Amino acid sequence: MTNFYPVVALLGLAISLISVFRKSPFFNFIGIQITVYGLLKSAALIMPPLPGQVITMYMAMSVFAFLIYFSIQEETFRAFLEPMRAVLADRDKRILRVVLVFILIPLLAGYIAYAKTKPSFEPPVSARIVHPEPPQQIDFRGKTIKILGLENPLRKDTEKLKDYIEEGKKIYYQNCFFCHGDDLDGKGHFAQAFNPPPLPFRGTDTIAQLPESFVFWRIAKGWRGLPPGSAPWDSAMPAFEDFLSEEEIWKVILFIYEASGNKPRTWE
Amino acid sequence: MAEKSIKQGVIKGIIKLTVILGASFVLLFMFRKMLPAPTEDGYRLLPVIGSRVWVWIVAQLHLNFAAFVLGVPIFAVTMEFLGWRRSDERLDRIAYDFTKLFTLAYTLTALLGAVLMVSLPLLYPKFIDHMMKILGPTWWVYILVMYGEVFVCYYYFYSWKRMKDRKGIHVLIGVLLNVMGILMLLITSSWVGYMTTPGGVSETGELVNRWQAIKTYMWIPLSLHRLVANVVFGAGIAAAYAAFRFITARSDDERAYYDWMGYTSAMIAIGFSLILPGIGYLLGVEIYAFNEQMGIQLMGGFFAWLWVMQAILIGAILFAVNYYLWISLNKMPGGQRYFKYVKFLFVVIFLGYAVWLTPHSVALSLEEARRIGSYHPALGKLGVMASKNTAVIISYLATFISFAIFRMSNKEPVVSWVKTGQLIRILLIVGSSVAVLGLGVYSYMVPSVTRVKVLSPIQFGVFFLCIVALYLLDSRMYKGARIIGEPKWGKMPERSQYALIAITVTFTWLMGMMGYMRAGGRQYWHVYGIMKDTSPEAYLPSHGTASVIVTIVTVLFFLLVAFIFWSIMKLERFSEQRRAG
Repeated sequence: MTNFYPVVALLGLAISLISVFRKSPFFNFIGIQITVYGLLKSAALIMPPLPGQVITMYMAMSVFAFLIYFSIQEETFRAFLEPMRAVLADRDKRILRVVLVFILIPLLAGYIAYAKTKPSFEPPVSARIVHPEPPQQIDFRGKTIKILGLENPLRKDTEKLKDYIEEGKKIYYQNCFFCHGDDLDGKGHFAQAFNPPPLPFRGTDTIAQLPESFVFWRIAKGWRGLPPGSAPWDSAMPAFEDFLSEEEIWKVILFIYEASGNKPRTWE
Repeated sequence: MAEKSIKQGVIKGIIKLTVILGASFVLLFMFRKMLPAPTEDGYRLLPVIGSRVWVWIVAQLHLNFAAFVLGVPIFAVTMEFLGWRRSDERLDRIAYDFTKLFTLAYTLTALLGAVLMVSLPLLYPKFIDHMMKILGPTWWVYILVMYGEVFVCYYYFYSWKRMKDRKGIHVLIGVLLNVMGILMLLITSSWVGYMTTPGGVSETGELVNRWQAIKTYMWIPLSLHRLVANVVFGAGIAAAYAAFRFITARSDDERAYYDWMGYTSAMIAIGFSLILPGIGYLLGVEIYAFNEQMGIQLMGGFFAWLWVMQAILIGAILFAVNYYLWISLNKMPGGQRYFKYVKFLFVVIFLGYAVWLTPHSVALSLEEARRIGSYHPALGKLGVMASKNTAVIISYLATFISFAIFRMSNKEPVVSWVKTGQLIRILLIVGSSVAVLGLGVYSYMVPSVTRVKVLSPIQFGVFFLCIVALYLLDSRMYKGARIIGEPKWGKMPERSQYALIAITVTFTWLMGMMGYMRAGGRQYWHVYGIMKDTSPEAYLPSHGTASVIVTIVTVLFFLLVAFIFWSIMKLERFSEQRRAG
C-alpha cells in the first residue's frame, strides 16, 4: 500500500500543473492537497510512517495555508470560487448540482455516520507523553534520593572514570543490551516483542536532551514510576532498583552516554 | 462624553471606583454573615460549576480587560506623541480613539475585579488569609495605585480637547498613566510569582522576609512578559475594533480611516510580538531555575499537548498577519510588482509553520505504536526546541520582509546606489537566514545548556540585527523616493478585516490557555510547596475541559468587548445628533 502513495502524489502534481495551465486555482488547490497527502504518506518508504495525528495536523495546515494563498489577489480568488459558484448557480450545471446535493453529499454523510458508528476492536488512541516529568524525590530501596538537581557522583572522580565506564559496559550487556541493542539503537533481540519498542540512545535528540538525574529515575523506577500521562501500562521497562545498586546504575549511565557519543543535559 | 469638564469627569471616575469598591466590601461582609462557615480546611464550594471554574472564569476575564487597559495606553500615548511632533491630526485621532476604548473598558475591568475580590475570600478564605498575611501590604498599595490610575486616566481622557494647545503636558500625563499601569502590573505579578515560585517564607508558610516574597524568581520575567503581551493584546483589540468599524462603515472616508487604524494597530501588535518569544524563554529559564520538575512538567510533561495547540495557533496568527500584508499590496499603487515575491515568502512561512507545529509527543493507535514506537526520527528531530526556535525566527524574518515590501511597494528609490542597496538587502536576508539555519543545525550537536544559553540568544540576536539593518537600509535607500501613488486606504476586501479579528480572537484564546498552563504548573498547591490545595477540586482538569473553559472565557470576553464597541458607536451617534440638532 505504501508504494501506492508516490503515485497519488504524482497524480496530485499532475492535476495541479494542468490547473496552472488552465488557470483554475480551485483544481490547483485540490491537486496540491492530493500531492501533500501523497508525500506525507510516502514518507513511510524512507522512515517509520508518520502517525495519523501528525498527517491530520499537516493536512489541516495545508488546507488553511493554501486557502489563504489563493485568496490574496482578487482575480485569483474570484477564479477560485468560480467552480463552486458555477455548480450552485449555472443553469447548464443543473444535473451536476442535483447529483451533488441529492446523491454525493448524502452518500458522504452516510459513509461518515457509518464509519463513526461501526464497531471497532481497536483500543482507543493513546496520547502518550514522550518526556514525562520526574518526581521531586524517589524512594530507592528505603533511601530517599532527591531527583531534582541530582548529579552523577562518579563523574567527579575523573581518575577512575574509564574504569567506571568499563564496568558500566558490563552492566549494560548483562541487563540492558537485550532490549536496547548492541548498537544502543533500541533494536535488541527482544525489541520486536515490545509495543512500543525500546528507546534508542543514539542521536542528538534522545538522551542528550535529558539530564542524568532523569535517566537515573527512569532506570531505577522503570514503567511503574511513570506518571499516568506517560501511560506506564504501555512500557515494559523494568524497575532496575530491584536488580542493580545505586552505583551500578550510575555506572551504566556513564557507559550509555559515552558509547552513544552524547553528553548529558546540564543546566549550568 | 468628552464634553464633560475635566473636574466632572475625574470626580465621576473616582466616585465610580469608590462605589464599586465599597459595594464589594459590603457584599463580602454580607455574604460572610449569610453563607455557612467554610469547611475545616478552609473552602466554600460553589454549587453547579464549582469554586475553581468560577474563579478561573472571573479571574481570566478580569485579566483580559486589565491587559487591555494597561496595554492600550502605552501605544495611545506613543501615537499622541508622534502626532504632536509630526503635527499629524490622524495620529492624534487614532490616539484619542484608543483612549476612548480603554477609558470605557476601565469600568468593566473594575467590575470584574470586584466580583473576583468578593469571590476569592468567600470561596478560598484560608488561602486568602495566607496571601494577606504574606503580601497584605501590597494589596493596600494596589488600592492606592488604582485610585491614582483612575484619577490620571480620567484626567487624561477628559482633558484631551481642552489641552490641545498644551500637548507636551498632556503627553506627560499619559506617561504618568503608564507608570501607574506598570506599577499595578508589578504588584499583581508579585502575587502570582509568589504563588508559583514562592520565596521569603519558611517551609510552614511563616513570613521570613516580605521583600523576598515579592521578589520571586518569576516576578520580573512574568511582569516583562505580561507588559509586552498586554501591548500586543491591546493593539490586537484595537485592530479588531477598527476591523469591525471598517465592515460596518457607511462612507469611504470612514472605511479609509478604519483601514489605516486596523493596519497601524495590527503592525504594533505583531511588532511587539517579535520580542515575546525571547521574554517567554527568559520566563521559562527562571521557572527551570526555581524548580526543574515544574519546568519539565510545563514544557514537556503533562502540558506538552497544550504547547502543540499553542504552536498551531501562533503559526496561524503569523499566517494571518502575512495574509493581511499580502492582501494590502492590492491597495498600493505599484504593489502588483511585488506579488511575484509573495509565493517565496509563502513557501518559507509554510515550511516554518510545518516545523513549528510538529509535535514531539504524539497520539498513537496500537498499530502505529507497534510500528513507530515512542521515538520517530522525523518527529524527534523536528519536535525539539532547536528546530522550533529556528523555524519561528525564519518565519518572523519572512513576516518582517512582507511588512517591508508593503511599506515600499508604492515607492521607487532614486538614490544612485540602488543596485548596491538591493544587493546588500539580499545579502542581509540570505546571510542571516543561513546563519540562523546553521546555528539551528549546530544546536543539535552541543549540550543543551550551550543551546539554551548561547546559541538560541545568538539566533534571536542575528534576527534582530538583520531587521534593524534592513530597516536602516530601506530608510536610507527610500529617502526622497519617487511616490508611485498614495495608498488607497479603504480599498480592502472584507476578508482582510476578518483576518484581523481572527488574529485577536486567537491571541485572546492563547492568553487564556497559557495562563491556565502557568497556573496549572502549581498542580495541587495554592502556593507551590508551601500551601496545599486540599479542596475536592485539587486536580488538573483534562485538556479538553481546560480548552472548553478557555473558549467560554474568550466568548464572554468578546461579548463584553462587543458591548464596548456598541457603546462607543452609540455615544458617537448621540454626539453627532446633538451637534446637528
